[in-house]
Amino acid sequence: MSTIFPVPSLSKRKALALFALGFLLLCASPAFAHQLEKHFKVQPRSVITIHNPNGKVVVKAWTKSEVMVVANHVSDKVEVDAQQTENRVDLVTHQLADSISPDELRADYEVTVPEDAELQIHDDSGDVSVFNVLGDMNVETVAAGVDLEDAAGYLTVKTVGGAFQCIRCAGQLEVSSISGSFRLLDLRSYHVRAETSTGNIRFDGEFLPNGIYRLKNYSGIIEVRFSPSDSFDLHARSVRGKVNNQAKLTPPAHPNQPVSKYGNTLLGTFNAGRARVELSSFDGTINILKRD
Amino acid sequence: MPEAEAIRLAQQGDAEAFERLYRLHNRRVYSLCLRMVGNTAEAEDLTQEAFLQLFRKISTFRGESAFSTWLHRLSVNVVLMRLRKKSAAETSLEEVTEPDEDSGGPRRDFGAPDLRLSGSIDRLNLQRAVDQLPPGYKSVFVLHDVQGYEHNEIAEIMGCSIGNSKSQLHKARMRLRELLHEALRQQARDERKAAGNAIGGKD
Amino acid sequence: MATISCKVFPNYLEFGLEGQRHPDAQAHLRDCPRCRALLEDLTSIQASAKDWGAAEVEPPAHLWTSLRTQLVEEGLIRDEQLAPQRRQKWFQGWFVLPRPILAVAYLAALIGVAFALSGPVNERINRQRWLDGLQSSTTPVRDHLARVEQNTTLSPLLDSNPTVTASLHDNLAIVDNHIALCEKSVREEPENELARDYLFDAYREKADLLAQLSDRGGYGR
Repeated sequence: MSTIFPVPSLSKRKALALFALGFLLLCASPAFAHQLEKHFKVQPRSVITIHNPNGKVVVKAWTKSEVMVVANHVSDKVEVDAQQTENRVDLVTHQLADSISPDELRADYEVTVPEDAELQIHDDSGDVSVFNVLGDMNVETVAAGVDLEDAAGYLTVKTVGGAFQCIRCAGQLEVSSISGSFRLLDLRSYHVRAETSTGNIRFDGEFLPNGIYRLKNYSGIIEVRFSPSDSFDLHARSVRGKVNNQAKLTPPAHPNQPVSKYGNTLLGTFNAGRARVELSSFDGTINILKRD
Repeated sequence: MPEAEAIRLAQQGDAEAFERLYRLHNRRVYSLCLRMVGNTAEAEDLTQEAFLQLFRKISTFRGESAFSTWLHRLSVNVVLMRLRKKSAAETSLEEVTEPDEDSGGPRRDFGAPDLRLSGSIDRLNLQRAVDQLPPGYKSVFVLHDVQGYEHNEIAEIMGCSIGNSKSQLHKARMRLRELLHEALRQQARDERKAAGNAIGGKD
Repeated sequence: MATISCKVFPNYLEFGLEGQRHPDAQAHLRDCPRCRALLEDLTSIQASAKDWGAAEVEPPAHLWTSLRTQLVEEGLIRDEQLAPQRRQKWFQGWFVLPRPILAVAYLAALIGVAFALSGPVNERINRQRWLDGLQSSTTPVRDHLARVEQNTTLSPLLDSNPTVTASLHDNLAIVDNHIALCEKSVREEPENELARDYLFDAYREKADLLAQLSDRGGYGR
């Protein structure tokens, strides 16, 4: 039976479906007009620096001795510059016009680096994510959030308002912010120093023997989770807020700072006191809770 | 004239803007060079070289990082290149190792309790000791302890990690301690010798 | 707490002299005069270096002349600029604002003063002395930060990113609020060392924020 509108054959239907899918994907993805892709051969312990005023930065690791940079930007009012000097790769987003909107300023980076690379990242806004990089890193943002996963080494992070998440990281961690909140999960770090003013801090990781864990905020909540097998000396204090504790503590086993008569202080040892946990808040609440 | 304005005008070739930028930063750059190389003639030469490089490249500066950090990074690179040319073997921040770090032998002088540095370090001794440091240690020590830069700034200037910067600083201080102790012992030996000579002379 | 040896003790200082505060390091120091001597020496070196660095040396005047000549030769200075050579007025150099990072260094020095005035909480402390000591250390810090804040502007680069501008301003307001609350707390309980800690932390945060704004924006109006 003939029809008014001819039915396309099967192969044509497939082609149409593929075309429609491609069209949809094109619409869904940001309309980047400019892309830069560069490869750099590097030696062990290379250093990669990224200066980007606005946009996403994603850094992943691979086993090659090579740095691969893919950078996308929409506007021709910015220029992405990727240069290598000896064992260092510098990635910079240059603003070419005085008058530029945030969307025009945006450049997104995807960088793949050797596992042992050291990173220095400055990204004012737009999120920063780093996966599986084991070298030291320094990340500074203003409003951008920072997400580190499976990282190791000496990790220093500074944000003004951006949130911070660190999952399954090892080594040493120092993070500071004014209003950003922190989630520190499944950590195997031997030294953690986390300070924020109004953000919350959530710590759910291992307390390694001889490790030092200092969590401090002005207001907001500090929440620390522990298991029955953990072993730490605890020093928790709040000037105006509360300290809620579920750990069965014994009197302090090791030398400590003198106890202030001001505010609420909780001092004690859990099991053998092999790690040191110092929690401090001005106005906020400190919760020391059993792990579920 | 504010610095940002001076940068903008210097990028257009304005002479007064160049001078403004020079006046804003010359002391810090010159002090850095002088402390790194220990003599005024070379420090002047390096300062001039650093500013020349800066002004040649100023059109490429877009404000992505602090101008001062950019300038000081340039200055440190200029100094390091000069120091590396002078030294017998090239050393990098990574390559410097203490003589017996790998051999594991008893290295460190943990400090003879009767010989304290406190109160005995004068500027001349310190400069002499710093001059003997390998370039990488010298840079980090001068930038941090003398010039007052923070480790994150040093990491950016030197192109290393913060952890690396801290570790190198510690090694620099340990090495300086050894050098200063040796200088004190030598001084004591010289004094004893001078006293001995004086007594011998009297006789 | 582990017992450590003299060979291991220096490792505690590898990432900064504050590593001495580790309980293991403290325990070792109590019993080891050699490592105490080591720590004292390293502290002396740091202090001497700081003194040395305090005096910035002025380069000779001919350096600029020589540099300028080179810039002209290379064509980096435009020809028309050469004729009307306006000399910098003698007083202009005096209005260079200190780098905001110097505000942080100044702050750190004043924090040192404040802590020097402090003592163990369990000593008998004269309340008025505390208040006087505190005011003498906090007033210059507040005034200095206020001056730096007045003279800090945002660069056009930053103004093109309102998210960043807003974040910096919002966080500056948060820190100002904390400073006010901490100052009040410290006035009410001058012996409360935790409140003092927080106050000086807040000053440091403000200095950091102003340093960020300034580094982006330059100095002066």
